[in-house]
Amino acid sequence: MSSAKERRSVVTGMGVIAPNGVSIDAFWKATKEGISVLDRVTREGCEHLPLKVAGEVRGFDPADLIEERYLVQTDRFTHFAMAAANLALDDAHLGRADYADSPFAVGVVTAAGSGGGEFGQRELQRLWGQGSKYVGPYQSIAWFYAASTGQISIRGGFKGPCGVVASDEAGGLDALAHACRTVRRGTDAVVVGAAEAPLAPYSVVCQLGYDDLSTLDDPVRAYRPFTDGACGFVPAEGGAMLVVEEATAAEGRGAPVRAELSGHAATFTGASRWEESRAGLAHAIRGALEDARCAPDEIDVVFADALGVPSADRAEALALADALGRQATQVPVTAPKTGTGRAYCGAPVLDIAAAVLAMEHGVVPPTPNVVDVCHDLDVVTGRARPAELRTALVLSRGLMGSNAAMVLRQGRPSPS
Amino acid sequence: MTAQLTLDELAALMKSAAGLTVDPKDLANRADSTFAEFGLDSLGLLGIVGELENRRGRPMPTDAERCKTPRDFLALVNTPGKAPLEADKVPTTGA
Repeated sequence: MSSAKERRSVVTGMGVIAPNGVSIDAFWKATKEGISVLDRVTREGCEHLPLKVAGEVRGFDPADLIEERYLVQTDRFTHFAMAAANLALDDAHLGRADYADSPFAVGVVTAAGSGGGEFGQRELQRLWGQGSKYVGPYQSIAWFYAASTGQISIRGGFKGPCGVVASDEAGGLDALAHACRTVRRGTDAVVVGAAEAPLAPYSVVCQLGYDDLSTLDDPVRAYRPFTDGACGFVPAEGGAMLVVEEATAAEGRGAPVRAELSGHAATFTGASRWEESRAGLAHAIRGALEDARCAPDEIDVVFADALGVPSADRAEALALADALGRQATQVPVTAPKTGTGRAYCGAPVLDIAAAVLAMEHGVVPPTPNVVDVCHDLDVVTGRARPAELRTALVLSRGLMGSNAAMVLRQGRPSPS
Repeated sequence: MTAQLTLDELAALMKSAAGLTVDPKDLANRADSTFAEFGLDSLGLLGIVGELENRRGRPMPTDAERCKTPRDFLALVNTPGKAPLEADKVPTTGA
């Protein structure tokens, strides 16, 4: 990304809809304090299923932010994405007046892991229960992976390059990289991120086939990566959207630069082949460092993928050692997602938001529910650790075999 | 069924099928404005046509979902004789 020095990508706005907060402030407070919100699954129709613990987004009413006409034609995953995009645009102070004369200067990119399962289930139940005449026409768009990108683009009037990345959970980072490429090619701003809504009956049943899913019923023990108690991961809903802008364009309109997206690389090593993910993740880390022109010892904090599967945790610890050398055992490693669950493609984007906030506040948030780490890593547990953080490394892997790494650098405060 | 679709009913359908809050009086006053100006897209109108077909148990006239304005739509769906023959009735499928 920094290879085209003249067009750097910076984060000027962030919006979060997460199980531990539906605003940046609430999310950061809970993240910094290491509060776990993992809890029993309460969504209607899911109570009897073997998945017992998840990270649900509660107390969120999309109608507070999004017009009903958009809500009627979209699934919950798009409600999250539209609301998060709204918050990110507000945070970036990027309003219609800024791009009314140049709508092609703003694009949209999202990543999606499963699309609109809840909406799709409802319409398919009508199909088989009442007949094809009872399936609403919005089914044709609501359950697509592309729905969130399309609706954010339509609602905001963004006519710049739009895209959808369907590359597994790590697609959250790949979407950000795609936004950076879009900026490099000439677009001034991209609304980018991912949000997921995998906690509806059909969607949960689809996940029950994953060997890596934790079906423990104790919220404190269900998701404990890097420990001897690791027994899989807990899924979550929600995600984050960012406003990524070309650096001089952001400066030109006086937008505060929250962070720079400095480097990214992605690899693929096959579904559930966690031992092989060691080499794939290490290669992604090296690629991201090279892209960012960053030395291993410049990394001040690592936001780990932290799958919670023993072989995957071991592979991640070894990948860090392979790619960072001695620095791997010295750099603080954290995984705030153990307090919220993994929101599939939304998870690494939430980690990006947490990494930006960590650099801004000079503090590494802890890894909730994790004690007695059994790998050679300095995992931050218990409470947040103050530290000067200039550069962060965020890692993500997907159940289908994708690995990605992204390097972020601290932003510069607004000149005002 | 020979019930005529009223503007009140159309407004209610725009709400239920497309999430649009439209005052029936506004529909009456601006009956030649396009559905797009009221915020209704083509899929929304298709949903309204589908709902009317389910309620009436028979297909709407051809091109009902292509009407551009409330006036055109009401004129088409309320025109006697435009109703398809018995043989063209919507087949009852499912439960």
